[in-house]
Amino acid sequence: MIKLQNLYCFYEEQIILENITQEFPKHLSILGPNGSGKSTLAKAICALTPHHGEISLDGTNIGSYTAKERAKKIAYIPTKLEFYDEFLTVEEFVLLGRFAHKKSFFDYSDKDRSLAKQYMGLLHIAHLSHQTLSSLSSGETALVLIAQALTQESQIIIFDEPTANLDPKNAKIIARHIKQLQQTHQTVLITHDIHLAHFMNNPVLFLKNQNAHYFETDFFTDENLSKLYDVSIKSLAVQYD
Amino acid sequence: MIRALIWFALLSILIVSPFLGAVDLHFWDLVHTESLSAQIFYDLRLPRVLFSFFAGSILALSGLLFQTLFRNPLMTPYTLGVSSGATLGAGIAIKLGLSTVLFGIGAVSLFGFFGAILTIFLLLYLSQFLRGSQQSSLLLLGIALSLFYTSALMLVFYLGNTIQNDMLIRFTMGSLSIIGWNNPLLLGIIALLLTLTIYAYRFELQLLGVSQEGAKLKGVESKKVTLWLLLIASLAIGLLVSISGPIGFIGLIVPHIVTKLYPLTVEKRIIKTALFGGFFLVLCDTITRALPTQSELPIGIITALIGGPFFIYLIISRVR
Repeated sequence: MIKLQNLYCFYEEQIILENITQEFPKHLSILGPNGSGKSTLAKAICALTPHHGEISLDGTNIGSYTAKERAKKIAYIPTKLEFYDEFLTVEEFVLLGRFAHKKSFFDYSDKDRSLAKQYMGLLHIAHLSHQTLSSLSSGETALVLIAQALTQESQIIIFDEPTANLDPKNAKIIARHIKQLQQTHQTVLITHDIHLAHFMNNPVLFLKNQNAHYFETDFFTDENLSKLYDVSIKSLAVQYD
Repeated sequence: MIRALIWFALLSILIVSPFLGAVDLHFWDLVHTESLSAQIFYDLRLPRVLFSFFAGSILALSGLLFQTLFRNPLMTPYTLGVSSGATLGAGIAIKLGLSTVLFGIGAVSLFGFFGAILTIFLLLYLSQFLRGSQQSSLLLLGIALSLFYTSALMLVFYLGNTIQNDMLIRFTMGSLSIIGWNNPLLLGIIALLLTLTIYAYRFELQLLGVSQEGAKLKGVESKKVTLWLLLIASLAIGLLVSISGPIGFIGLIVPHIVTKLYPLTVEKRIIKTALFGGFFLVLCDTITRALPTQSELPIGIITALIGGPFFIYLIISRVR
């Protein structure tokens, strides 16, 4: 379970989040305008960016875990896939999720390989195995990233704007996978996609002006959304169900 | 098929190489250890070929390492100024006439090593001030450092006397002419150490070659691993440069050729790059020895003549 206590986050010396105290429920959606610090918060939780205050995971400060221990607890799925090694195949890339579980200095085991295959099968991307990363479409890339995170077999998965680059149909596919994964994992969903958040129907942490507002329920009313986002919204249209 | 042919050709050159040079050897004299042919073969040619092989391996592997760690095909010890740092360090030691030996390693080597290490740490320190999107500015920092070192070396020339300067100038051209077995053995050990270390960390390197952030998220202690790998590479480069002078472009060309031959993820290219680098420098050295020039052509000139145009090609093909 993730717990924030008097948390301050910074981005290039500018204060982004100020004095946030929040215990995460099993599933949480984080929403907020551009630049409100959603991704910064996620990266702080993964110990990628410095912060003040305390972030604890199952009662232990996140800084006290080794990188491998942390990887076994949290998987973070970025919006975009960045890579330099252009000859990496999808299969090899998904297998990298097993790094924290593999014996140091040794190759990935047969079990690691069969797990990677299994999760690619689960997401219906087994046919992409031998393609290189650069040949994938945005929809395929999103699925490959999820497959890699699943091989980490972590208890928590953080999705950072998983539908940002996707057309409605691919967004729906991803949305359904996330919903299904909520049965086996704790999830944190960062998104601008109000439809997606509504479909998940989890408690919402809304970030704005360095502060956080927690909504257990009653977040997705036209009135509330219009007030928070400062635009008029009339009953959400796209249906992911 | 093409791959097998290339490897076969390179291996043949390695075998033929010790028999080529300014003096023609009499093959049957080689069994008589007292003959001139045997002395040239065993004390000059053979150690030189082995030394070249290890030197090529170190240069190519460090190139691959730097390219992967910094995620840019133009980043090598040579282009980032690490070689120049080692050259300046070794140059200063030569100018000061230092000949102390610590633990079997000469002062010139130690100064070369410190020059390389200092440059690495300076680069790592300065790279903190670059934002994520400006990683390629690291290359500009490296070039700035190289230029600075070159001027500093000029200063050393300016202060030196004619005899020292002649030594220094020959040194900065790069040369693989060595005598005896000490240097090949020492370099062989370092080359093996570098290869084994990089191989041990091959999966960390594979993850770092995808992205730094991604590597951390998957459980790589990226700071520790990066530092450790760069330290061993600086040790190897520093030692090599202090013996042979700077030999440019091998670290840039060889990983690129190996990638063209084997379009595979970095983890599967480590050993191939080490071997290819060794063979490639032996080939270049064989060319310098086989050319009918008055005195032997310094190796640094050959590799730079091939490497310069290749560097331009790499930059252009990347922009496209």
